[in-house]
Amino acid sequence: MKTWLLIILLVALPVVLSAQPDYIEVNAPGNRQLKLAVEPALSPDGTPATESARQSSEVIAFDMNMSAVVMAESRALQPPAGNKSLADVNYAPWLNAGYDMLVRSELTVKGERLTVEFRLFDVINRKMISAKRYLGSAKDLRRFSHSFADEILRSLTGEKGVFTTRIAFVSTQSGNKEIYIMDWDGYNPLPLTKNGSINLNPDFSPDGREIIFTSYKRRNPDLYRRALSSPVEVPLSNRKGLNITGNWSPDGSKIALALSKDGDAEIYTIEKDGSRPTRLTSNPALDLYPAWSPDGKQIAFVSDRLGKPQIFVMNATGGEARRLTTAGNYNVNPRWSPKGDKIAYSRMVNGSFHIFTIAVDGSSDSQLTADGSNENPAWSADGRFICFSSVRSSGNGIYVMRADGSGQIKVSRAKGTYFQPAWSAY
Amino acid sequence: MKKVMVALLAGISMVALLASGCANKETVKKEEPVVPVAPITETVKPVDTTDQDRLAEQARLAEQARLAEQARLAEQARLAEQARLAEQARLAALKPAAAELKFQAVYFDYDKSDLRQDARDVLSKNADVIMKSAAGTRVQIEGHCDERGSAEYNLALGESRAKSVLKYLTTLGVKADMLSIISYGKEKPAVQGGDEAAWAKNRRAEFVIVK
Repeated sequence: MKTWLLIILLVALPVVLSAQPDYIEVNAPGNRQLKLAVEPALSPDGTPATESARQSSEVIAFDMNMSAVVMAESRALQPPAGNKSLADVNYAPWLNAGYDMLVRSELTVKGERLTVEFRLFDVINRKMISAKRYLGSAKDLRRFSHSFADEILRSLTGEKGVFTTRIAFVSTQSGNKEIYIMDWDGYNPLPLTKNGSINLNPDFSPDGREIIFTSYKRRNPDLYRRALSSPVEVPLSNRKGLNITGNWSPDGSKIALALSKDGDAEIYTIEKDGSRPTRLTSNPALDLYPAWSPDGKQIAFVSDRLGKPQIFVMNATGGEARRLTTAGNYNVNPRWSPKGDKIAYSRMVNGSFHIFTIAVDGSSDSQLTADGSNENPAWSADGRFICFSSVRSSGNGIYVMRADGSGQIKVSRAKGTYFQPAWSAY
Repeated sequence: MKKVMVALLAGISMVALLASGCANKETVKKEEPVVPVAPITETVKPVDTTDQDRLAEQARLAEQARLAEQARLAEQARLAEQARLAEQARLAALKPAAAELKFQAVYFDYDKSDLRQDARDVLSKNADVIMKSAAGTRVQIEGHCDERGSAEYNLALGESRAKSVLKYLTTLGVKADMLSIISYGKEKPAVQGGDEAAWAKNRRAEFVIVK
């Protein structure tokens, strides 16, 4: 049995590690999942791991486990493997402990200055796969660790990772609904808006540098735009009535949103500077929550034109709309997957919401959540994950799961109520 | 003053961005969210050489910074008080009008924006109040929803409710230019609670004098 596994690994590993552009199913039937050990960082003099060193290995292990590409553990060998130099690895004890791959790192902190070097090793073939060195300040350690997790994912799958991306959300921690931003794993939360009003539905620009959101700060639900690096909130659409549920087009040139300036809520596009509103829907029902397809050619949205809110799809220039969801009588919050094949949404059943995905042709309608009430799904830029807000017995907050619904985990850390997450671009 | 402050903050964050951009050989993301930064008091670089002088200078600067901060806080408090008094005066001026303007809220069925008979009765009274009010009175109709359903859909539903009310008031003879609408969806419930009693009280339109 053991020999058989080893043969599979020997055959599989070189393929996996050659970093081909295509995604490789490393956990396909017949293979076992590869095991990755992430050794807590060493100091240059080989002294024991500090708190920050363990933090770094835990970041990488968390990211890689969520990716499901490997099974990762933050792990130090006892007794230590006994290699002081980063490059000189004693592979045998790691192999004996059952690992296929190993991450080692060296960390130097001098005052506020931080230097960290990560190396990824193939334990089976006894060679280094990748290495990266980062220079920065002590607060950058988590970011650098996430970045090396991206590098591991790239080495193993050829795909770009999202481990350095961030999630914006609405929370009532301050007593008002304000917009916050945090790392994708919930660390480093920061308030963005502080206007004391009601702030809703943040959405990132495709370059990840700006957000749009709706705020009541001038006594009307207007759409605002701001850079993450500046506290200035620029009014983008303050037309009479609703200026809500803005969604930035994939090329960044336009914003789709719901306006009620001409009567009831209808879908429009505006230029990114707020000008030239173009009306896409026209009927006496409520139309809102537009979601661009990744090629920018179509828009999914919510409409109650048949009585109850359902999800429809139309061309991004307007015209005839096709009903997408046919099951359930309350389907809202559509978000198009980055690969273009699916639309995530939430459905209300008996007063509770659950996250679903459905293929763009209306097939494969699948329920991904079962606990509590779950709303406002948002895809990671690589389509690997979906984040959403949840109210459930294991804790309310922003959750992340894989796109198939597995691995659901609460990432927001502070107590409070959380709403309407948006996931930044790469 | 405000513009200068904003520009200053923007400037500070730019410098911070540039600095961090240069420091990191491997920059993961160049931009970082900047929390509104506390104003920085300018300090003069000490030019003295002896330790004693340096310490004295340090103490002097710390004291200067403390006093500046104190002055800033005092000014802030003064402005806040000024604003509060102005608001009080504004409300007091409105009072005679507001006192005679007693509005009743109207209520809706679940996921509906059409007016029930009880709502029509209440609106007849509200219409009389508005029509008898002083010239220049402006009334805003706020549309609200119960907690069920999505926040976004409820924003649109709340607006439909406010619109139904506005339309009915104008048919009763209220001039449209005295009225405006706003929807708060489910963002401002009248009462907390997850049962039909609470929901029924939250599916409503309220009336607020805005001018």
